[in-house]
Amino acid sequence: MESGLIGSTRAAAGALVAASLLGLAACSAGSSTAPPDGTPPPSGEGSEESLVLGLVAEPATLDFTQDGGAAIPQALLVNVYEGLVKLDQDGEIVPALATWQVSDDGLTYTFDLVADAVFTSGEPFTADDAVFSIERVQNDWTVALKSAMDVVASAEAASPTQLVVTLTNPSNNWLYNMTTRVGAMFSQSGVDDLATAPIGTGPYALSEWNRGDSIVLTRNADYWGEAPYFNEVTLRYFDDPTALNSALLTGTIDVITTVQAPEGLAQFEGNDDLQIIEGSTNGEVLLSFNHRSAPFQDLQVRQAVRQAIDHQALVDTCWAGRGELIGSHVPPTDPWYEDLTDVAPYDPDEATRLLEAAGQTDLTLRLRLPSLPYATSCGQVVASQLEDVGITVEVDTLEFPAQWLAQVFQPPNDYDMSIVAHVEPRDIPPLFGDPTYYLGYDNAEVVQMLADADAGTAEEQVTIMQEVARTISEDSAGDWLFLLPNLVVADADITGLPENAIGEALDLTLLARS
Amino acid sequence: MLLRVLVRAGVLLASLAVSSVVVFGFLAALPGDPARVALGVNATEESVATLRTEFGLDRPLRTQYVDWVGGMLTGDPGRSYVSKAEIGPQLADRMQVTLWLVAAATVIAVLIALPAGTLMAVRHGKLSGLVLAGLSQLGVAVPAFLAGILLITLFAVRLRWLPSGGWTPPVEDPVMFLRQLTLPALALGLVQGAVLTRYVRSAVIDVLREDYLRTARAKGLTPERALWRHGLRNAMVPVVTVLGLQLATLLIGAVVVERVFVVPGMGKLLLDAVANRDLLLVQAVVMVLVVAVLVVNFVVDLLYTVLDPRLRHG
Amino acid sequence: MVDRPLRGPATVVDHRDVARRRVNPSLVAGTLLVALVVAVALVSFVWTPYAPSRVDPSSRLLDLSAEHLLGTDKFGRDVASQIMVGARTTIFVGVIAVGVAAVFGVPLGVLAAMGPRWLGQLVMRTSDLVLAFPALLLAIMFGAVYGASTLTAMIAIGIATIPSFARITRAATLQVLSREYVLAARVAGRRRLAIALRHVLPNVSSLVIVQVSVSFAIAVLAEAALSFLGLGTPLTTPSWGRMLQESQELLSVAPRLAVVPGIAIAIAVLGFNLLGDGLRDRYDPKLERAS
Repeated sequence: MESGLIGSTRAAAGALVAASLLGLAACSAGSSTAPPDGTPPPSGEGSEESLVLGLVAEPATLDFTQDGGAAIPQALLVNVYEGLVKLDQDGEIVPALATWQVSDDGLTYTFDLVADAVFTSGEPFTADDAVFSIERVQNDWTVALKSAMDVVASAEAASPTQLVVTLTNPSNNWLYNMTTRVGAMFSQSGVDDLATAPIGTGPYALSEWNRGDSIVLTRNADYWGEAPYFNEVTLRYFDDPTALNSALLTGTIDVITTVQAPEGLAQFEGNDDLQIIEGSTNGEVLLSFNHRSAPFQDLQVRQAVRQAIDHQALVDTCWAGRGELIGSHVPPTDPWYEDLTDVAPYDPDEATRLLEAAGQTDLTLRLRLPSLPYATSCGQVVASQLEDVGITVEVDTLEFPAQWLAQVFQPPNDYDMSIVAHVEPRDIPPLFGDPTYYLGYDNAEVVQMLADADAGTAEEQVTIMQEVARTISEDSAGDWLFLLPNLVVADADITGLPENAIGEALDLTLLARS
Repeated sequence: MLLRVLVRAGVLLASLAVSSVVVFGFLAALPGDPARVALGVNATEESVATLRTEFGLDRPLRTQYVDWVGGMLTGDPGRSYVSKAEIGPQLADRMQVTLWLVAAATVIAVLIALPAGTLMAVRHGKLSGLVLAGLSQLGVAVPAFLAGILLITLFAVRLRWLPSGGWTPPVEDPVMFLRQLTLPALALGLVQGAVLTRYVRSAVIDVLREDYLRTARAKGLTPERALWRHGLRNAMVPVVTVLGLQLATLLIGAVVVERVFVVPGMGKLLLDAVANRDLLLVQAVVMVLVVAVLVVNFVVDLLYTVLDPRLRHG
Repeated sequence: MVDRPLRGPATVVDHRDVARRRVNPSLVAGTLLVALVVAVALVSFVWTPYAPSRVDPSSRLLDLSAEHLLGTDKFGRDVASQIMVGARTTIFVGVIAVGVAAVFGVPLGVLAAMGPRWLGQLVMRTSDLVLAFPALLLAIMFGAVYGASTLTAMIAIGIATIPSFARITRAATLQVLSREYVLAARVAGRRRLAIALRHVLPNVSSLVIVQVSVSFAIAVLAEAALSFLGLGTPLTTPSWGRMLQESQELLSVAPRLAVVPGIAIAIAVLGFNLLGDGLRDRYDPKLERAS
């Protein structure tokens, strides 16, 4: 009879389903890539607690010598990889793996290295590794930031614990740059698989990388210095800024490192279990002008665009009012900061007048935005405000990173205006001192001043850089919409969270739970 | 019947082959140099050129295609351009996550549709039937991501009962796993349930009219038992068919739902890979999705033949 | 439960049922909702309460009021105006996508039914293949290659919908072909093209119209999903899907920013679904079972 046959078929189907379910349960779904050798067992001083941080923009690879993205050094610098020097909370250069002395002519730096630092592979850190790391920047790195090492003439190991570096000319910037990624110390035998297996001397080691989800760092038991508080730190990546906010509320994470949906901050206020920190970063949100594009070669047009924008209203609408206004490419945490916001104040009538004087009453500009939250949000405000002074704005969104890089950032630099946050510290030289950059800003005077600032004394550096900042502002080399705020929300009992995000690294060693 | 199966199998293989050509060819046309994007913002020209050679991007397209297909068939889709990691394990990981989501959603959908659809069929023409019909119409009209957002607003933000997203492997923390799975599975499952309900309803209505049911009643079975013993089984035939055919919709619904709930599944992998121009990864993910749909359709076809004896001799 | 007499096979139609069906609620409700959406879209060409893209910082996040019927968003833009212009996008995408699908799908279906057997098989197998690429997946791929825009969204959705039209047209054509007057025409030696135009098309048109309505609903859903993912209409064009995406950030502060476009999408989809069901009931009682 049919029912009998149907019955047995259904039984077979049922068994199949059950078997596959068992099979699924047996695997651990969403499992990770295990690291190769070098993962120490967690122990030592400090607590046994773990911490979960929420961030945006997951790194695609762990190799920051080939990939310029900011997410990689954010996670790995200072925590897994250490440099000879690092920045403290006030932005001062302090010893990390070494103390140093400079010769009077500024050409020779002598570093006395820490004696007992060890890589997670077990190899000790010696001056030979330092030489290897410095030369590797010059020979094997592909990111443009490697140019910071061009000023090094030679690096030599005077002894296993002493390194001597000779520069071709005195440079104020070099030692500062050694606190960034170019100063990271690699092991001579530990660079085979930088994309997935970082080997450093730092207080944490990589124990898991769940691609698309999280990076897990575990305390390095053999660390030469003071053990950090948290035994395990998980960096969880969200590409949806709202999900990041919600995750804190439900306890999935303990800290939001950078709030990218600031409207959502309202839900955290008044909650005694949480703390909100609002400081500054190095992230200048730049409305870039393509200086190769005809209209922008006229100073009056550039000025008009700047003065057509009500920056305070812009921040209020597109970034919930969080974010400081800056008048040039310098954050308040740099020594040569000056408030230059009155160089091109909001004045739509003046903007219209300038456009008429320039003969550009019927101007059309293309605003090409990367698909990043602040860009798409603030781009709409910029377009609307420029329309109010008679400029027609054609807006389109380019997928970030692929399309934006291909069309705006690289030649043929096909754009008139774009909006992107430049987060590297002290980045005036690559942006405004290099006519081949995507901005195409070509000012020989600025190039000369930058060279002078680098070669001069510390005081000269400050005065000259102040003048550089003023020059590029008065020349309207771009428009600085606002400075990205450092918006951190965390459980109230977590201490050590930095108010200002100054360097490239997110220093996990400062964190503890009270 | 064996002939039928063989013919269908042949069609499946041909479809798979053609899809692979389509996927490969289409993505070979992607603008944006994968090597340049992989190296990031600050790369030099020589390094880009070197990487292109390393990826084999300077070889003729036909060679690249053959290599790729060969790799997929032997279970080695290669290494990602961007992260240099093996694609195979990544795919397997993500696929499990999406499968959990899709499976849970299907279970929810069936649990909703069977009682609701039967009830609607039985109350056909009465007020309660109409109300249910209206509800199911509404359910179909709401996209899964909207359902997701509303569920988050209610259960995660207002009530704080459930997390608004994320993922924990079941072996690590079963409780958290279930909590995180609930809302996305509900978002997908409610919508699917509404769609399925309508099919169950019409299938049950048909069954209610069938002769063998009358025969069963004539033999002395009560209406309920007649429906249960004979009717429901045959009502399952279109339901199973629809479930299979809905797989494509479910997988794509999962793509958007994974975005809303930040679940690291195939959907997120695909969208991230496209943004990073991770060509090989995009190809692999799209191919896997297409293969899944084609294979499931084939299996449903076979099941349909098996379950409906009238077709077996067709 | 089963307390009325069991009827025979469903092809026999009761006249009283036909009469009841003429005034069927699905058709009425569906028509009303669709008309509402279309009307709003048309009106938006002539008038909206405010310019939809105008940023007005002093009016941010206002609640429903007399000045702003549906409130404002974080940029101070009037939500009602955005919904109205968004309706335009929705209808436009639907029309083009379904248009593309019908223009290619219907002839393909007729061809598959009336042409040589191998052609019919080829068309059907290719349809199955295209069905393996859901609209969203195609749109993601298209968007990646050609840049995401309204156009790529429409074409992708259109291509993904062709199989539905091809199938329904083929099935209907086969039915028509088996009717007596057509057989008579073929015996009498009429050319196939003439038969197609005179007998087939008018008779399948009712089914095609039903499919148009159903596919429109799917197109609306697909466009909303694409805009939500950021792969649909550009920034400066209001779109319901993108309004939903922008609302996510403010769910805790102003959930109405998600609810309003959500309701708009639901109304449009519901309308087209009901309309399709109603038309199906009216034109082909045999298909009542699928509604």
